[in-house]
Amino acid sequence: MKPLLRGEDITIRLSDFHLDHVSLEVEEGDYCCILGETGAGKSVLLESFIGMYPRMKGRIFLKDREITHLPPEKRELGIVYQDYMLFPHLDVYNNIAFGLRKKNLSKEKIKERVHAMSERLGISHLLDRDVQTLSGGEKQRTAISRALVTQPQVLLMDEAFSALDATTREKMRSFIRDLVKELGTTVVHVTHDVDDVWALASKVVVMFDGKVLQSGSPREVFSRPLPGQVANFLGACNVFPATVGAFQEGELTPLLIGKGETALFSADKACPGESVIVSVRPESITLAPHRLNISARNQVPGQIVKTERRGPMVWIHAKTGMGNMKAVLTESALEAMELAPGNEAFFIFKASCLKILSRKDTTRQLIQ
Amino acid sequence: MKTRIFRGSFAVVTALFSAMLLWAVLSLVFMPRWEEVVQSALSEEMLYSIRLSLLTSLISVAIVMVLAVCIGYVLARFAFPGHQVLRTLVDLPMAFPELVLGLCLLLLFGHGILSQWLKGFGINIVFSQAAIVIAQVFTAAPYAIRVSYATFRGINPRYELVARSLGYCEFSAFWHVTLPLAKGGLFAAMVISFARCMGCFGTVLILAGGTRMFTETLPITLYLNISYGNLAMAMTSGIILIAISLGAILVFELLNREVML
Repeated sequence: MKPLLRGEDITIRLSDFHLDHVSLEVEEGDYCCILGETGAGKSVLLESFIGMYPRMKGRIFLKDREITHLPPEKRELGIVYQDYMLFPHLDVYNNIAFGLRKKNLSKEKIKERVHAMSERLGISHLLDRDVQTLSGGEKQRTAISRALVTQPQVLLMDEAFSALDATTREKMRSFIRDLVKELGTTVVHVTHDVDDVWALASKVVVMFDGKVLQSGSPREVFSRPLPGQVANFLGACNVFPATVGAFQEGELTPLLIGKGETALFSADKACPGESVIVSVRPESITLAPHRLNISARNQVPGQIVKTERRGPMVWIHAKTGMGNMKAVLTESALEAMELAPGNEAFFIFKASCLKILSRKDTTRQLIQ
Repeated sequence: MKTRIFRGSFAVVTALFSAMLLWAVLSLVFMPRWEEVVQSALSEEMLYSIRLSLLTSLISVAIVMVLAVCIGYVLARFAFPGHQVLRTLVDLPMAFPELVLGLCLLLLFGHGILSQWLKGFGINIVFSQAAIVIAQVFTAAPYAIRVSYATFRGINPRYELVARSLGYCEFSAFWHVTLPLAKGGLFAAMVISFARCMGCFGTVLILAGGTRMFTETLPITLYLNISYGNLAMAMTSGIILIAISLGAILVFELLNREVML
């Protein structure tokens, strides 16, 4: 499939930051999240698509048409900002109708389209309201309506949910997921919130210091983050250097952790004798007070050092023969197992959950 | 104890200065005899002076606002070599004594290439009523530009980018988004300009001359009548100037709440 939006070698030099030869492809119907820390260059990249930086180097294509040197009004891209950027001198109706007035439509047609879009976004009762009296969620819906009503080829969203409270943010995620599916809208969404990626993305691009470090489906990127900045940012923990043991074709890959005292198994492939980095996500681990007779091949004994409540979940920190490990459980599961700091526990996970992240050359970077 | 001394000393300075200022203004209002003020206000010279001051100030304000919007927007939005130099240049007349600014304008419009070129079209600016407008524009424009620049800088350029992504060209985005958002600040710039134009004295005196019943604006009336020893006329023009300034501030305050976003 040909990409709908393509950026080639985009380089932008600003006084205190530069975007460095960034390339990106977004296919029709994709929900692409650009993920990274503050200052990674995500918003600059997004705004380069819309035409904020006319002196940028590189090329941008929409379908097969080069739009690099087109003014923003000719690019057929819509944008929604974190702080909404609703025009404060116009009411909700006129904000949504704003773009339609440049499309040579009759007043009736404009009214019809504004009402249809506002109905779809659940803000039809707010059309007469001053935008400054709206709640954060209502403002965001108005901004999205304004962008979508002109039917842009791609909707660009810059930290669109960051200004919302946690409950509204969750509602907006679910709402946007349904809306873009229904309208078939292609979205490029800049965010630093990993939850946005899990909830919405079909593709994720991870950026650091003005560069794209990794891209792929959320499952690929989260299960095999590049060691170093990407892995750290995505919260990868339980990361260990290992040596691949000998095995037969068709068997699971044996991995010797540390000085070889602990043997684990991974479903990923590697060559015997190779030095690798392995990781298991905390949510893939089950805890038990004793070894279990189940199919999970990896059961690592350890001693619980501390428990840490984060919302409805509890993080378990433990010392094992491989090093420090973390797992995450529900509070009720922890209580049922009667596990507490000082107790012995087994960290149990399947071979398919133990991912080989990289080879030896990046070990030092990862461990740092 | 230290806090009380600190607060007390600041309060005393504030109260003393405010009292002196009020006393000075009230002296002008209460010193003259009111029958003389009414008589002076209705004199042919004063009515001419009021008409000319209002007419020239309104024309000047219109010109100043066009300049302020253009230059303020250029300074706020465009990055170019010499940006800082331009900012300093347009601020310069604020630091000049009005008489020096008048002298500079006299040299520009009275001697040299520009004056020769204008004379080729039969236009003689110096000592004409047009000179009043030019003097007022050059005196008031820096203040208006400064306010307009601050206003445009305070408007997030992303509003314009959003408007452009919705199909508006650069000028349309400016016209339909930036300008309406700037109206509070531009209105303030207009009021300040009007007050500056009405009170403009030194620049007008040098460039337009203080010719009685020809280039005689209210400050010139005050000056001429002080020179003749006609105190009643001088004080009347002073009272009218204060009344117009207070009126402008009042209108600004009243409309400000509706205009400001």
